[in-house]
Amino acid sequence: MKRLAGHLVAMTLLAQPVLAQDDLTVGFAIAKSGWMEAYDTPAATAAMIRIEEINAAGGLLGRQIKVVAADTRTDRAESAKAGLDVLDQGAEMMVVSCDYDFGAPAALVAEGEGMNSFFLCAEDVKAGIQGVGPNSFSSSVLAPVQGATMAEWAHAKREARTAYVLEDTFIEYNKGICTGFNWMFPQLEGAQIVGSDTFKNDDASIASQITRIKDLPEQPDVIMLCSVMPGAAAAVRQLRAAGINSLILNGSAVDGSYWLEATPDLSGFVVPVQGSIYGDDPRPEVEAFNKAYEAKTGSRPASQYAYPGYVLIDLWAKAVERAGTVEGAAVTAELEKMRDEPTAFGPRSFTPELHHQDTALMQIIEITGGKPARVDEWRISQPVPLDVLMKK
Amino acid sequence: MSLQLLFDALALGGIYAIAALGIALIFGVMRLVNFAHGQFIACAVFALIVPSTDALAVLGLGALPAPVLVPLILMIGAGLAVLAEALVFRPMRNASPVALMVGSFALGVALQNLLLVLYGGRPKAVSLWAELGQPVQVGSASVPLLQLIVIAAVVVILAALAIMLRKSRLGLEMRAAAEDFTMARMLGVRSNRVISGAFALSGALAAVVALVLVAQTGVADVRMGGQIMLVAFIATVVGGMGSLSGAVAAGLGIGAASALLQAGLPAEARPFRDAFLYGGVILVLLFRPQGLFAPVGAKPRV
Repeated sequence: MKRLAGHLVAMTLLAQPVLAQDDLTVGFAIAKSGWMEAYDTPAATAAMIRIEEINAAGGLLGRQIKVVAADTRTDRAESAKAGLDVLDQGAEMMVVSCDYDFGAPAALVAEGEGMNSFFLCAEDVKAGIQGVGPNSFSSSVLAPVQGATMAEWAHAKREARTAYVLEDTFIEYNKGICTGFNWMFPQLEGAQIVGSDTFKNDDASIASQITRIKDLPEQPDVIMLCSVMPGAAAAVRQLRAAGINSLILNGSAVDGSYWLEATPDLSGFVVPVQGSIYGDDPRPEVEAFNKAYEAKTGSRPASQYAYPGYVLIDLWAKAVERAGTVEGAAVTAELEKMRDEPTAFGPRSFTPELHHQDTALMQIIEITGGKPARVDEWRISQPVPLDVLMKK
Repeated sequence: MSLQLLFDALALGGIYAIAALGIALIFGVMRLVNFAHGQFIACAVFALIVPSTDALAVLGLGALPAPVLVPLILMIGAGLAVLAEALVFRPMRNASPVALMVGSFALGVALQNLLLVLYGGRPKAVSLWAELGQPVQVGSASVPLLQLIVIAAVVVILAALAIMLRKSRLGLEMRAAAEDFTMARMLGVRSNRVISGAFALSGALAAVVALVLVAQTGVADVRMGGQIMLVAFIATVVGGMGSLSGAVAAGLGIGAASALLQAGLPAEARPFRDAFLYGGVILVLLFRPQGLFAPVGAKPRV
């Protein structure tokens, strides 16, 4: 028995240097089934595109990147299991589900191993140091930044002076959008929030909320709608049907033209995005990515939520190159040195306090006559302060 | 303002009333709380579009003219419910009510996953009858045409159902079966016919809710129907299990209360609207545990 153990130790020791030259393993603990799948798959596909590019260029630290995956089934308990599963398969970095609630259980598994984890597209400040731990990151743009971007842009470019805030209380993301808007808009010159109301994403009707808006002495210049699908499309349809023609603002979550049929000939609807899927982004890298995505999947990205998957691998790989290792703490230290690190979808920064973007260059997409198009770009004049992000 | 509020309340209450009726009908003949009712609604919605996991939805049946589409979707809803009865609930006929309830949950999960496989997890846009959203001036209120149609539809459906239950043979049999199932069978009532009939009606009512929801919101989502199912179930409990008119009244009441709370609560309390609503439900049940309109001796009747 002792001899066998000795053999095993010797074999393990002998195997070590060989293993080190082996592939570098990235684990995807993401939803491959359930409703979250529709959101995780595009971002994971984008991550794969970047991984393939890196492998084609010789790999990372001289090692090819190998991908292992496990399905969270859009279930919080399964998410932790999926995390353990990819760990067993040898993952050295973990990519987890888009949403904080569904990604965090797996990210916590990674954190327990001192390993880096990246959320595919989480926009809640908790999906990082504050909620998971010091080695967890998200490359997407925080929801409050999206709300603040809408506030400042609409004020500067559309002379918005009065705003009405309509918040869907369904998920934290919605609250984040409204938090950012409510922080930014009242600081702007002559701008005022004239009213606010809430609804629930699955409300069968928002007639009462519409009645309240119509009872205002004057229609607001803009309506900040903090909502996600399907409630957002339902709200827009009902608002426009009721004859409310204010400019409607929303967060990135409703990017994509797939829902526009819900309100035929929609006009005056604006969202901020990280890059345009409509072929009109001024940065050639974005369109090059859209083409690569189409070549891989047969169709262009349905929304901007593919992009953060590409960016996260890009940033992580850069940090690994600089650190010379995939060890969590060392890579985290390199990531935290990034200040306006260029990526195909705009500069990204991380700090020891925040593993998210508290400001970002965003493309402005406006829907006119049922057709979405990029009309502008905007970066908020000051980052959203941490206490605003944390207050929620 | 007050007239406007009345219409908002009636329209929301009307949707809940039709959904509650669908649940109460089946409970009446079978003592089954059908938790798959929400998924029946979702299936009827998705029947409008061509199955595909692409982000962009293509209207299939939904492109048909309304006089063809409405009966067709009602038939699809009814057919689905009858099929569910034949395949799932008939073999379980002698099982305990709890087992039946668990069976209905399982059916609901299966249907939802079927939709996920066929259509993907992303919500889809369905532009059905967008012109029904246009507001119409009624007195001092500006009411979307759809709200008026919903209110009228509720009245028509309730009247038709009342006549059916009183005048037709199936209605008579349904009432007899609900009264005493064994006795009714001994007297020559064919149980399968009655139960299938109740399921068909319930499925058609689910399809009505589906059409109203789609016309109102313009989206199809695999999770839709869940919230309505919950409210409808609560309405049948509040109304008194087994009482059809009770379910309708409670459905209307809950919808109206929800609209009134949304309009009347201060801004800080509005996110907790449903907490107030269900708090009210608890209060009602504290004073009337058998429900508001429970038949004498809580003996369920149809």
